[in-house]
Order: sequence, then structure tokens, then C-alpha cells
Amino acid sequence: MTVSNEKIEALLEQVQKAPRYTGGEMNTVVKPWDEVALHYGFCFPDTYEVGMSHLGMKILYGLVNREPDSVCERFFMPWTDMMELMRQEDVPLFSMESRRALCDFDMIGFTLQYEMSYSNILAMMELGRVTLLSRDRRREEPIVVAGGPCAFNPEPLADFIDAFMIGDGEEVTLEVTATIRDWKKSGAPRMDCLKTLAKIKGVYVPALYDVTYNPDGTLAAMTPNCPEAPAKVEKCIVTDLDSAYYPEEIPVPYTEIVHDRIMLEIMRGCTRGCRFCQAGMLYRPVRERSLKRLVQLALALEKSTGYEEMSLSSLSSGDYTCLADLIRQLMKDLQQERVSISLPSLRLDSVLKESLEETQKVRKTSLTFAPEAGTQRLRDVINKGVTEEDLMEKVSDAFQGGWSSVKLYFMIGLPTETYEDLDGMVELARKVVACYFAVPKGVRAKGLRVTVSASSFVPKPVTPFQWEPQDTRETLQQKQAYLREKFKGVKGVTFNYHESGLSFLEACFARGDRRLGGVLLRAHELGCMLDGWTELFKLDAWLQAFADCGLDPAFYANRRREKDELLPWDFIDSGIVKPFLWREWEKALAAETTRDCRQGCNGCGIQRYKGVCSYADAGRVSQG
Amino acid sequence: MRMLAVFRKGERLRHIGHLDIMRAMQRALRRSGVPVAYSNGFNPHILLTFASALSVGASGERELMDVTLSREMTPEDFVATMNRALPPEMQLVSARALDDRHPALMAMVQAADYRITLLNAQAAESCRAALPGFLAREEILAERKTKSGVKEVNIRPWIFELSMEGGTLHAVLALSETENCKPDMLVTALCADAGCEKPRFGVTRLGLLGRGADGQLAALETL
Repeated sequence: MTVSNEKIEALLEQVQKAPRYTGGEMNTVVKPWDEVALHYGFCFPDTYEVGMSHLGMKILYGLVNREPDSVCERFFMPWTDMMELMRQEDVPLFSMESRRALCDFDMIGFTLQYEMSYSNILAMMELGRVTLLSRDRRREEPIVVAGGPCAFNPEPLADFIDAFMIGDGEEVTLEVTATIRDWKKSGAPRMDCLKTLAKIKGVYVPALYDVTYNPDGTLAAMTPNCPEAPAKVEKCIVTDLDSAYYPEEIPVPYTEIVHDRIMLEIMRGCTRGCRFCQAGMLYRPVRERSLKRLVQLALALEKSTGYEEMSLSSLSSGDYTCLADLIRQLMKDLQQERVSISLPSLRLDSVLKESLEETQKVRKTSLTFAPEAGTQRLRDVINKGVTEEDLMEKVSDAFQGGWSSVKLYFMIGLPTETYEDLDGMVELARKVVACYFAVPKGVRAKGLRVTVSASSFVPKPVTPFQWEPQDTRETLQQKQAYLREKFKGVKGVTFNYHESGLSFLEACFARGDRRLGGVLLRAHELGCMLDGWTELFKLDAWLQAFADCGLDPAFYANRRREKDELLPWDFIDSGIVKPFLWREWEKALAAETTRDCRQGCNGCGIQRYKGVCSYADAGRVSQG
Repeated sequence: MRMLAVFRKGERLRHIGHLDIMRAMQRALRRSGVPVAYSNGFNPHILLTFASALSVGASGERELMDVTLSREMTPEDFVATMNRALPPEMQLVSARALDDRHPALMAMVQAADYRITLLNAQAAESCRAALPGFLAREEILAERKTKSGVKEVNIRPWIFELSMEGGTLHAVLALSETENCKPDMLVTALCADAGCEKPRFGVTRLGLLGRGADGQLAALETL
């Protein structure tokens, strides 16, 4: 069903930011509906501005649309004003391209970037007239899939998603679309499709597993209930980024979005091994794109978009092997096109820095550093390889170079944290301020601004801290209050911190089990959505949803797991092995650091992908 | 060389604001490969101006822009090259080379030609009935929002042409720095006369007008 243009236009006149919903952007794809066999609705469970900034969406959008018999159209979460009007006027969630209802698509896919966007998934499905519960969906309804980092613990969404794609999406997506296309033609029951999907590597179909619990609420067993379902679901890994699909045309929005520029993914994965960082584990092994391929992509993307800015994207761009060569080459080739390149960090040699300042518009806006913890001891616990010396050197460099605005990112509630560590944050900020005043008046730029942001630590699956309790909300609030007081005495510093309730719920869902599906559904009924937007976050409603389901959120957020406890995500083979994570946890407690993989293999498990993990044979392989 | 180009702002783009359309056009110029000229100075930008900002909510059939190219190019080539780089809703209609001494388009705009569609049949009928009386008046007061507050102005002299067919008004209204009758001012005043509630309405700007040597209004792109 095409949603009536007239109806949509009438709504658009009444909402703020109508361009979020109008579509028609350059490089978007519209295919005649009846001429393609498979219709894929790609759903980003957040607003247009956030979703359109996401690289993964652009990759999959281009990938599916390249197939002659498939089409991919985009959906985003409407803002509350639009949502209300759509409900009032009975307008279903419609696609950006052909303005078709979500329920008309053969397959819809959600990207899971953040646990607190889960409520938006339910809101979007309901508005798009898709039955919320997987088991209740009729034959003609779309197959609902999901992927992205949060799919590494898919259980809280098991009731709503038909199939999860675990790991890199470039290859598995086309296997899944082909399966659904063929099934659609076959007329076979829905369960046949799910069983066929389960046979694809990297695909997890929750309906094909039975879950039992111990009397204490922990997981007892998770067992496949049919031969098609594997006991372990192995994540998908793109073995060679150069030959993997990367879009050469990406949609260019009219309205400003969060990251309005070309994003060039230079590598995937990270070797640093920070113990709190889930992405650092999930995206292993490190794979780099070749310089040649990157330059070719950069030129093609510049030509197809007309963007005036490009950024290099990865978890740790400073670690790209030929970063200096790459930047030189890009600068040379793109200078004529007047494209400015925003660079990840100051980890560049000084000669390059100089030539950069000459040729590029260097916007001296704000520099961001992430020491994460206030003392060396705690930085060792989390294996964040940054020393105070490093930081001071870079900050000093920045102040000398004309920057006057610095952001410092910290976490509170890290394992083993004491008030000494909090004092360390204040001390570090104080030193940064002193560093600014140490630069002579004529040299330094005016208007010092140091912003200290403290987020609350959320233990994540597939990290060495996956067994750790999160600090209770009370503890986090006490720590926040303590820091707020302390920072009052530091001139030039602004202190920000995150809503502790949001971090608490994030912790519940990050390590939640299947039973949280009920909580999510109840929270949805109670009107929870757009929780990531502080002004809309309703902690009380969430707590009520837990209570209504007879579940205790502290069981998920604040409980220490035992070494031998079966964790809800243990059936997923992320490539990282549990003994490695446990060993890392023990080292963390002893404040012992672990070397970067480049210096030698630490035996995380990913080394078994020989030829894909470049550091599998680095140094002496310790046995995992 | 300077190139004057006529472009559409399609129905689907009517909610896109002026600055966003400008940016989209700049990016289209960049990706098209036409030889755009940049300003000198620390922060070079594309030499592109629009004759008049089209407000959010309105579409446009013949919007005008003036872009400076660093090399000669035929208008036909310019249109063809740009249209490959522009989305369907923002295509160029025509182009013509301008003399370097040609005045700034912005300074030449005197009026605009609008199609205003009233989206309520009853209101449209009342307006149609009230139209002769409305046009016969010597003074039509309308509210104009300025920086210093709301002012009452007489818009009658700013209505150059006004007719109605079915639910659609056709209006040529003054549009310059000093005299500017917005479609909303017209519809508000007309509905007040007709004694009906102001309905939802759609606005399409059909073209921009300037004054020729004879003092008559004419399509700006032909002057």
C-alpha cells in the first residue's frame, strides 16, 4: 500500500523538521515496486539525523540496491510530534523512497547500535503495522531481521526478531535476502524460511532454541529444538576489506545531519584491547583497506556526492599502518577538489602536521582526549594504554598549536574504582588547565575551555568485564555529586555527566536474557520510546515494566556473575574465547596491562582465523 | 563567466529551507564537474547566488540562480551536465550566459508569480465570491512581521494581478526589499473579507519578475 501523498503532506505542514520525512535526496534509489522480487526495508531505530550518519546503513543500502531483483528503502524513527500525528491520522510508518508502509516489505532489518534504541524498534514496528511478536506473525508479513554490535547479545529482542545476523553484514545480507526471496515465491510456511535462514553461517533464529532457567534466575540451558539450528552461531567475518563491497555513491541529505560528510572506513577492528570496550573485541580481527583502494573510493565518493569534507573512520585510525602515506595521497588527490580531510588524532609526525595546516582548513574547534580513568592504576586496570605524560604532551601541543578547547572523556564506576581515582580526574583536569597557562599569552589562543564528561560504566558482553556488577544508581549518583563538588573549585572546567538511570537500563539490556522481551513489551505499552533523548526518558515507566513482569533489574545490572555461569550470549561464537576474557579479567584485578596485538599475540581466540588476523603469529603465541 | 540558470524546487522539496537548497546546489555543482569558480580569501566558497529565497513550504517552477564559472561553457552543456548531478526534484529548466556587468539578480526582482491552491472547497467558494469586492478596495490592511514587531501595511498596491479559478488563486505580488506581499498575507486578508476561516493552502512560485526597459513586468530570466 502506498501511503497517500496528500495525507503525508498534510502532516508535514504541522511538524518540526519536515525534511526528516521528505526523502528525495541525491543518490537515493527508487525502483518500480512490481519489477523487483525482494523489498527490503532498512530500519534505523533513531531519528533521521542520527541514522543518516551511520556508515553501516550506507553500506547495506548500496549493497542490496546493487542487486537487480532487490530494492532497499529506508525507515527512521519519527519524532514524537510526527508520531502522534501519524497515529491520529492513521498513517502507517512509510519509507523515505516510495512512501510504502513498513508492513508491505518482504523483509525488514533493524540495526542495533545501542541498547536504549530497543523501544524504538517496537514503536516503529507498531506504527508500520507489523505484528510485534515473532511467533504471532502471519505468512504474508515481513521477515524481521536485525544485526549490528548489540546482536552479540540478541536475547532481549528474541521475542520480536525472526533472525539475527551476527558479525559483518556485507556477505550474509545477500544470502539472507536471496533466501527470503526464494521462500516468498515458494508459498511454504513461515517456519520453513526461518529454518533455512538458520543454516546460513552467522544467522541466529531465536524460535529454534529452548531456554531454561535455574531456580536462582540464572540461565540453565539453551538448546536447539530442531536439526537446522546450530548449537553455536559463528559470527560472519569479511576476510578481505578490499574486495568487500563499499558504496561509491551514498545518499546526500538536504538537511544537516550529525555527521554530514564522506566517511571512509580505513580499517575494521582494533588491537589495543581496552578491557571495557566491546567494539574492540567484537570487530576483531583487524583488517585494513589498502591505500590504493581507499584513494580510489575517496575519489569516487567525492565525485558522486559533492561533499566538501571527508573523515577517516575506524576504531583507532592512528593505528592504520600507512596513515601518513594515506593522508599525503588523499591530500594530493583531493586538494584540487577542495575537500578537507578531518583527521582522527594528533598521532601524526610533525612534518605532516605542518603541511596539513598549510593546505587544509584546520578548524581549531575542540580536541577530544579519552583517558577514561583518573589514575594510572585504574588506566592499567582497564588496559587503556595512555599515560599522563602522553596526554600532557598532546594537550600541550594542542595549546601551542592554537587550540583552546579540550574535551576529556572519563568513565565512572569502573571495576576497582575508589574515590582516589575520582580525585585523579580532577587532578588531571587541573593539570590540563595549568598546561594552557604555561603557554605564553601571545602564543596561546584565547578562551580556555576544558569540558570533562563522565559517563557511567556499563559492563558489556564479550569483554573481560562481562562478569562485573555495575555500580548501583545510588553509588553512581554519589560519585557524580562528589565530582560535581570537586570540579566547582577548578576554574575553566565544565563538568558533565550522564543520567545514571539510562546507564542502569543500558546495563540491564546489554547483558539481559530472553525474559527481558516481556519488559520491553510492557515498557512499550507504557509509552517508552526515544529513551536515548534524555528529555523523553522515563525511568519510572521502565521500572514499572520490570515490576509488572516480576523481574528485578538489579539482577541484570548489579549482580556479579560466577566464572562458570552460563551467560545468555555464550552460544554465540564471537571468535573471542571465554578463557581469554577471564584471564584478562584476572589481570585487570591485578592492574596488569596486556600488550597491543601488534607487539605479540595474546591468544584472544581470533588467531584461529589464520590469514585474516594479521597478528596471529606476532610474537609468541600464548595458549588461550 | 556568469551563468544564469532556471531550476525547479519540486513539490517533494517544498519543506527544504533556502540554506539547505543552496547547499544542495553547491554540492551538485561540485559533483557535476562544471568548472565552478571559487571566491578568493581564507575561506573560499563557490560563487553562487539565488535571485530570491523561497520560503519553507513553497515549491518553485522557475527559481533563478547566478553562478560564476572559471571557464566558458555553453548553456546547453551546462544544463545537461548539471541535470546529471541533480536529483529529479531539483532539475534545471534552462540557462543563459550573463554579461559580467549584468546587475545582481537579487536587485532586479520586483515581483513574483504565484499559484495558491486553497485546500478547502467551502473556503474557496467564499473567497471566489468575495474576490471582486476585495479587488475593488483601495486599502487592504495586512500584518507584516518585522524585527521591531508586527506592523500593519496596505498590500493593495502590491497586488499586481489576482484571479481565481476553482480553488486556485493566481497572483502576481510585489517582491522586493521594501515591498513584499507574501502569499500568506494575501490569503489571510482575502479570507477575512470572505468571512471564512483560513484554509490550508499550497503555494507554488511560478516565476520571478523584474521590470523591462518599458517599465512592464517581465520574466526576470529574460531581462
